[in-house]
Amino acid sequence: MRWITAAEPDWEAVYTEQLPRVYNFFRYRFGASVDVEDLTARTFEKAWVARHRYRRDVAAFSTWLMTIARNVAVDHLRATRRHVPLEEATAIAGGDSPEADLIRSSDAQRLASLLAVLPERERELLALKYGAGLTNRAIAAATGLSESNVGTILHRAVQGLRAQWTQGQK
Amino acid sequence: MEDARMYALRQDPPQEFAARLKERLLREDEALPARREWPLMKMAASIVAVAAISALLTVPAVRASAVAFLALFRIVNFVALEVDPGRFKALGSEEFSLKQLIGQHVQEIQDPGPATAVLSVAQAGSLAGMDVREPAWLPDGSRIIEMSVTREGLARVTADTTRLNQVMDALGITDLRAPDRLDGQVMTVRVPPVVMVRYQHGGEGARTTRLFQARSPEVTMPTGVDIAALGEIGLRIAGLPRAEARQFARVIDWNSTMILPLPPNSTSFKQVNIAGNPGIAVQYEDSSDTTMILWSSGGRVFGLVSIQEMEQALAMANSVR
Repeated sequence: MRWITAAEPDWEAVYTEQLPRVYNFFRYRFGASVDVEDLTARTFEKAWVARHRYRRDVAAFSTWLMTIARNVAVDHLRATRRHVPLEEATAIAGGDSPEADLIRSSDAQRLASLLAVLPERERELLALKYGAGLTNRAIAAATGLSESNVGTILHRAVQGLRAQWTQGQK
Repeated sequence: MEDARMYALRQDPPQEFAARLKERLLREDEALPARREWPLMKMAASIVAVAAISALLTVPAVRASAVAFLALFRIVNFVALEVDPGRFKALGSEEFSLKQLIGQHVQEIQDPGPATAVLSVAQAGSLAGMDVREPAWLPDGSRIIEMSVTREGLARVTADTTRLNQVMDALGITDLRAPDRLDGQVMTVRVPPVVMVRYQHGGEGARTTRLFQARSPEVTMPTGVDIAALGEIGLRIAGLPRAEARQFARVIDWNSTMILPLPPNSTSFKQVNIAGNPGIAVQYEDSSDTTMILWSSGGRVFGLVSIQEMEQALAMANSVR
């Protein structure tokens, strides 16, 4: 009766595969200004407790997990509302020490600076795409947007980043 | 901006953090109270266990034929049984795994491997070596969103009565013993390719139905053992009380009956007739109300697992051609 041996997920493998996705989702979503490990841990704790509610015939596991991660991100934003993202961006981009300059010169730091000033929605979709590694279809399923809408927003956002990146190099 | 730069922020989580978090999750799991619910996965595991046990115990007492050294089991009928959920929880544990039950002498001759995604029903049929049957009726707005084929699996099992008796002892069943003549007997379990077609009824996040089909699994094993006695052992292991197990074992057709243990979260079940064939329909509560229908037709076994009303699920099942 193999057709109903919808075997319970191999949690060890799921953890190994999904941890970097969630971790990087938060890195892209909030940059270095937050405790990424704490948000990642909160996501996995919620998912672990609720794992019996996961239905593989409703959504892919990564989509389900990223829905929880998005909720954790929303909770974090609510709790830290007074911290304006622009201030975070300045904090990342600022710094006068040679060491800070060196860090800022790296691609990662530049990307973090550019992401920090993006509108919330664009930044979230970029975090899902490049941080969590979701496909446009999976992002659409997780956010409720249409797949074409996701593609359009991401395209514009990347175009914008590309323009700013080039501008910064001049 | 090169696309590669978009990945510049990615980095692996620190190993120490990953290990610490995993340890914390496992600790929290231990602290949680035992769950009453029995999700589909657990039920499926139990079904597999009972199917295998039933199959292993399914031998006619006498089969006088020149080629009757091997008896054959094929699924024709389904019978639902309310059994002790605690027992099945124990059977699903490491200590009482199916391999333990049948003596840890399982030789996997052909590993079916993971399901292979296919792009069309025709491709699924080609891979499975059979014409794939489809429902002629679907709810409005339905479409196929996933298809896969799991290849044939073949295993050889050598019975170990000593181990079986030990398991019964551990479960507190001391009034029954495995027949000595079973010891060392070799059984072959063949699970033909399984085709799965998943339908979505409506837009994103809408209800879904999975239709599984395969030629009946087959078990061959030596004849000459008292099948009713073995069946009784299987039912006792499944948690049935002594008197019920004995009565049930005597009346059931072990050659062709698949026993379906009902999960504790099942809300209803009934015998159904699917296009003239006997079947069983079970409703249970998971994250959504789910209907599972099992039936056989023409040497093929079907399973339909659907997150929709039973009437609709039955209509789909009845229209499979």
